[in-house]
Amino acid sequence: MKSAICVVLAAVSLCVCGCKATPPGGAEVRTMWSAKHHMLVGNKKQKNPIATTAESIADGKEAFGHYCAACHGLDGQNTGVPFASRMSPPVPLLTAKEVQEYTDGQLKWVIDNGIWPSGMPGSKGILSDDEIWSIVVYLRHLPPAGSVGEPEMYSH
Amino acid sequence: MGRFMKKILLLFIILAALVVPGVRLQSESAAAAAVPRRVEISAKRFAFDPAAITLKKGEPVVLVLKSSDVPHGLRFRELGVELKVSKGGTGQVQFTPNKVGDFVGHCIVFCGEGHGTMALTLHVVG
Repeated sequence: MKSAICVVLAAVSLCVCGCKATPPGGAEVRTMWSAKHHMLVGNKKQKNPIATTAESIADGKEAFGHYCAACHGLDGQNTGVPFASRMSPPVPLLTAKEVQEYTDGQLKWVIDNGIWPSGMPGSKGILSDDEIWSIVVYLRHLPPAGSVGEPEMYSH
Repeated sequence: MGRFMKKILLLFIILAALVVPGVRLQSESAAAAAVPRRVEISAKRFAFDPAAITLKKGEPVVLVLKSSDVPHGLRFRELGVELKVSKGGTGQVQFTPNKVGDFVGHCIVFCGEGHGTMALTLHVVG
């Protein structure tokens, strides 16, 4: 009888510990980074057909402001987005190394297809290829955090 | 009138007959070149009508964009052509295609869920 109780207690303890949500450790972060950059996110080799110019950066900024800014802020750094830190996982800063280390082709892939189950939706068909590539240009030239204000929808 | 004068007169008449239609033809083609072709395009969530247009390289054209609902836009990045229209409004842009090929233009004013599929192809022929 005692041994049966011990087995049940051990099982319950394992379940409780297993279900406990804690921030990922270093090994988990490195494993996921590697999986995303090398396996899960495709299109690594495709080059951006849009050259980086003042105009294409402005085009990207405009398209980003119409659509992506709702979650990422106008600056790609969550400025003014009230729920950015409450998402699970939190909305990343697009200036962060983990984002900037994607190739242009991978960034296009992420915008096209989203990242499940992070909350990042796919935008293929909602935005044109031309806009998505110009957004990729903008992502490489994001302005300083807070320098371009907040999305209008959150400031009224 | 001497035979020599008759020949001169005949030659003059022949020359005149050749030159006058040529001048008229030239002035007609010059007038045609000066008046750009006008193409009307309707923009409505989430399509352009027509969805494809054939143009001739070097021939000036005016694209007239009419919105039947929300604000829309149209850009052919490779041709440097861009215009925007307000809700229910009309806008136009004049240009002369300077290269042959197929060029896909997109709506550049976010207009809803199918915005990214709203495209128009220009076939520019030589």
